[in-house]
Amino acid sequence: MNWKSLFPLLRKEFILEFRQRYAISGIVLYVFSMVFVVYIASIRVSPPVWNVLFWLIVLFASINAVVKSFVQESGTRQLYYYQLADPVLLVLAKILYNTLLLLVLSTLAFGAYSLVAGNPVKDHFLFALVVLLGSMGFSIAFTFIASIAAKANNSATLMAILSFPVILPILLTLVRLSSIALGLIQDTAYMRDIINLLAIDTILIALTFVLFPYIWKD
Amino acid sequence: MKIYHSRIIITFILLLAISLPAVYAEGNRDFMRETGKINVVVAVILLIFLGIVWYLIRLERKLTKLEHQTKDD
Amino acid sequence: MWWKALSIVLIIYTILAGMLVPLKSGIQRTEPAFAKAGADQTIRFYGYNTFFQKASDTPVRVWLYYDDRHALAASDFQVLNDTILEARFRFPGQLPEKKESVSLNALIDHPVAGAALLPAAVYLSSNPDSTGNTGLDSAWTANPVEQLHVQSGFSFPYQNVIYESIRNTYFHVPMWFVLLFLFTASVWYSIQYLRNPEPENDRRAAAFAETGLLFGALGLPTGMIWAKYTWGQPWSNDIKQLMTAVALLIYLAYFILRRSFDEYEKGARLAAVYNIFSFASLIPLLYIVPRMFASLHPGATGNPAFGSQDLDNTMRAVFYPAIIGWTLFGFWIAQLRIRYQRLYDKALGLD
Repeated sequence: MNWKSLFPLLRKEFILEFRQRYAISGIVLYVFSMVFVVYIASIRVSPPVWNVLFWLIVLFASINAVVKSFVQESGTRQLYYYQLADPVLLVLAKILYNTLLLLVLSTLAFGAYSLVAGNPVKDHFLFALVVLLGSMGFSIAFTFIASIAAKANNSATLMAILSFPVILPILLTLVRLSSIALGLIQDTAYMRDIINLLAIDTILIALTFVLFPYIWKD
Repeated sequence: MKIYHSRIIITFILLLAISLPAVYAEGNRDFMRETGKINVVVAVILLIFLGIVWYLIRLERKLTKLEHQTKDD
Repeated sequence: MWWKALSIVLIIYTILAGMLVPLKSGIQRTEPAFAKAGADQTIRFYGYNTFFQKASDTPVRVWLYYDDRHALAASDFQVLNDTILEARFRFPGQLPEKKESVSLNALIDHPVAGAALLPAAVYLSSNPDSTGNTGLDSAWTANPVEQLHVQSGFSFPYQNVIYESIRNTYFHVPMWFVLLFLFTASVWYSIQYLRNPEPENDRRAAAFAETGLLFGALGLPTGMIWAKYTWGQPWSNDIKQLMTAVALLIYLAYFILRRSFDEYEKGARLAAVYNIFSFASLIPLLYIVPRMFASLHPGATGNPAFGSQDLDNTMRAVFYPAIIGWTLFGFWIAQLRIRYQRLYDKALGLD
């Protein structure tokens, strides 16, 4: 495996995104619209609701951001990559890129959301860590599922139903950790949850490396 | 072939629907609770039996269809 | 095939033994459930599966006990019928421990039906100005609980709230085990398919998944019925409920994924990949959910196995055969499904 080719692949993702600026603008607009809808629908948001709604916004924005990651390139170009690069590096580049993308998106969502619905976060460091871990987990799971869904015709629907059961462990842990950061639950032993989350990410990324070549095979 | 997976979902919903009266029947609670809640066991066994029989009937229907198809060829 | 016969024999044994073996005798409740120190009080005991009237050479004995050393025997009692017994207690002026009140456990020992126990049956509150029964404090230690009888013959444990529905252990609980085994078999054949893409491996993976789905669809509602009448509500975010629900969602998605491709090979391969990926991602739930929701299932703390302290030997003698019997039965159904699919694929010329 030639690790050096990781960086050109990663650069390719950025260039591609930059060329299709309307796609990323669409996602950002999507986040703002959702935040606005939440604001209109419920003027006063209590911290527990704030927590759940924030993760729902991030979840749906993530699904929509990642689902395009495999469909935006044509089949012939994918065949070209297949001959050129190791599939593991290719998926790693996509995961890294999507992690960054989701991190930016959730930061944006957090900014917009706290602007309209207030900012009940007590432990900002923990919350930032949770957002980072969340972006990682979402990115790994969604990138993998998107690569499966992209092979089918109705990929958007498929993406949602395939990813929900897979994402559930991550989502449950994230909501729990961020409610600690919001001071809703008193629990000093949240390191266990962080380790759980890292363990899930490790399992998922290991599985991605093993299984992705089989998806990529045609 | 295409409606095949929707059948699985319908199966599941059907089984849930069968059990719903037992789950939510407030008026029936005495029936379910009397004689040491033995009727809960009866309901469970009955549901399992019905579910398996339903699955087998479905399988048999599919087999019959297949038999007809192969006979036509 | 011998294992099919074995599955039928074991399931028949499970149904017969599971339904016919009686419950141990127990105490449902006491009336009144409160008493004051230093008073004389008559307490009525409502038994379950008790035979108070059954004659025997040694008499029935009744206690209210606090701990190993402090127990109060009934001074006098009267049997009203087989399930109701009235006992008279002369409560000493002092509690066994210096407290505002203590909870006493009721214990009725019958030579034939064995000992029946109700924890925290009577709350005894202290009485600072009690004049009666003073000097009776040695009564707490005068008649210790001893020489209890054990019911002869087979019987299942008696538990309040659960009562006879403890028999569901042999019908509802094995569904979860069958589901686990069938889904594991499905993942196994999915791995085999990726290593060796033969239609047979894919057929097996799909058939095991479908049969597992059937047993999951049976386990969930039966569990909800049972939960409704013992825990009070059909759904309680329990780890096993959640995992079964998520497993069902995964395999429903699995079947939808299989059918969304025009090429057979592509659908089979991607479904196999998804099967492995999602099954593995299910495992972390075992560690996560118990941190958020307390489990009501016995043997909690995220252990999928049945807690050993909840099964006595008689129950084990039915429970283990039940699991084996239902599992073999599940594999039998899966095998029928595989054989059907094999014929179907042959008829369509896919194989």
